[in-house]
Amino acid sequence: MSYRWVEHTAELEIEIEAPTEEGVFVDALLALGELLGHEGRGASVCREIAIGGRERAVLLVEWLDELVYVAETEDLVPENAVRIELSDDGLVATVRCHRGSPRHLIKAATYHRLAFEPSGQGFRATVVLDV
Amino acid sequence: MSEITRADVRGFRQVDEVVWELPADARADMRVPARVFADRELIGQIATDRSLEQLQNVATLPGIVGAALAMPDIHQGYGFPVGGVAATEPPDGIVSPGGVGYDINCGVRLLALPVSVGELGRRTEALVHEISRRVPVGAGHGGALNLTGSALDRVLVQGPTALVAEHGIGNRDDIEQTESRGCLAGADPQTVSERARSRGADQLGTLGSGNHFLEVQRVAKIIDPEAAEAFGLRQDQVTVLIHSGSRGFGHQVCSDNVRAMDAVQVRYRITLPDRELACAPLSSPEGRRYMAAMACAANFAWANRAVLAHRVRESVARILGPAVADGTRQVYDVAHNVAKLETHHGRELCVHRKGATRAFPAGSAEIPRSYRSVGQPVFIPGSMGTSSFVLVGRQGAMERSFGTTCHGAGRRMSRTGARRQINGAQLRHRLEAEGIVVRCPSNRGLAEEAPFAYKDVERVVAVVEQAGLAGRVAQLVPLGVVKG
Repeated sequence: MSYRWVEHTAELEIEIEAPTEEGVFVDALLALGELLGHEGRGASVCREIAIGGRERAVLLVEWLDELVYVAETEDLVPENAVRIELSDDGLVATVRCHRGSPRHLIKAATYHRLAFEPSGQGFRATVVLDV
Repeated sequence: MSEITRADVRGFRQVDEVVWELPADARADMRVPARVFADRELIGQIATDRSLEQLQNVATLPGIVGAALAMPDIHQGYGFPVGGVAATEPPDGIVSPGGVGYDINCGVRLLALPVSVGELGRRTEALVHEISRRVPVGAGHGGALNLTGSALDRVLVQGPTALVAEHGIGNRDDIEQTESRGCLAGADPQTVSERARSRGADQLGTLGSGNHFLEVQRVAKIIDPEAAEAFGLRQDQVTVLIHSGSRGFGHQVCSDNVRAMDAVQVRYRITLPDRELACAPLSSPEGRRYMAAMACAANFAWANRAVLAHRVRESVARILGPAVADGTRQVYDVAHNVAKLETHHGRELCVHRKGATRAFPAGSAEIPRSYRSVGQPVFIPGSMGTSSFVLVGRQGAMERSFGTTCHGAGRRMSRTGARRQINGAQLRHRLEAEGIVVRCPSNRGLAEEAPFAYKDVERVVAVVEQAGLAGRVAQLVPLGVVKG
């Protein structure tokens, strides 16, 4: 796990560093799970997620938006990605979640200061969440 | 008062006591000046985050006219700063979903009860508790009004008018006392995604999280007796202030349209300093589609606050009796995240207000007849536990800010920063020690909204008054708060 919360006056900014592109998406999921809260942990459920698109930064926004949608409409808190595959066509993943009482704090992932780029031996990404 | 040097405000020059300006030639990509309404203390606070840089970015938008404006409650947002105002001119001027924000038509509604705080007596806690039982908070869903299909479409097109006619929620007076009568024209449900509809289907009548709240208050001070009388407010009267927006429905409308516009920036030869400012000409298919979808979300938000007001009246009926509920009248409802076509300085403009409130003066045909002699009511919530203000629009707003004033105190500290200074249990104890009833299921959420995380609302209001944008009418103090 390698993400950190960056100071922002009103919103929440996540900075992620991971050795692989897939790792960035997994760390983003873990950050979101922390934010939504793991209180009231219920039954485990898996969800298949497929997102089209080539640009990794935009895929990261849509990945987070998808997880926010699942949390908001089904009260599912993401725990981990059982499978995650990236290609030039997009992303497919199997996400393990648990039923719970997620904080419905996040409105959306934004394009503000959005970044996804190689860094050292891995990748670095930044995304701001509207809360 | 702190000593501010020119360097402290990043090149912004003081024009008068409450106006600071950066000329258009300060940056090669700026098309108009960037202008901030603030006193010396506030501009010092504002300069500590990225909000001034974000305001300069707004000044680069194609078709922007006059200046990129910031109200004294400005703080760092995403794309636009919160507290930002930008007017663009059709047909080539742009509309930017990020210039409205994800919570489309987040706004505030004030209800006035026909009782004084003395008559409420010891029933304050019972009233706040009853409201907390009837209003779902925090959760994304769970509102009692679950609308789908054509029933939801009618709300998207008509706003709260559909609720009065079909569900007996609210009344005709409520509609009259709502900005734009609770209905933006041009709403087209066909422009709204299925995902937005599914997020909104069971969220009418839910408060949400973050800075949304519902507050029971007392009129602590009448400052402008003529306007207060027009608004039906009197000393020691009990009021209820509702702050919420378009919930997941509006969030999804914004997400869908930011994505769609981000994909066409090259086609329209638009170069932006921040992708979240993604935009398209108002006359383009993408611009028209966004305006039609945004109108649906704005109408949904007004309907959401109408259902919340209905739940408050139900609570009042149970605790104070049906006669008091029947006499509970809506003072007004204002939007503070919206883009609207309005006429200013003889031109039709699209005014983006992102964390800013319309504030039309006396004589405007856009405000209810009963208020036309004094001006449009504006409500400025303070931070939790502090005063809120009722303002009235002034002529200066038409001359200086496209008919706009501030929308709140404005954050000055991050959520994590607030949590480092106080925990929720401590804050709850402190508020209760001040006699304020608190109903909030999340200690973490409570701490993040601690009063010290916000600017001084009295200072913010003093600036807009000195600038001639709005005048103070009444000061409201909290008796109890319900938060998500």
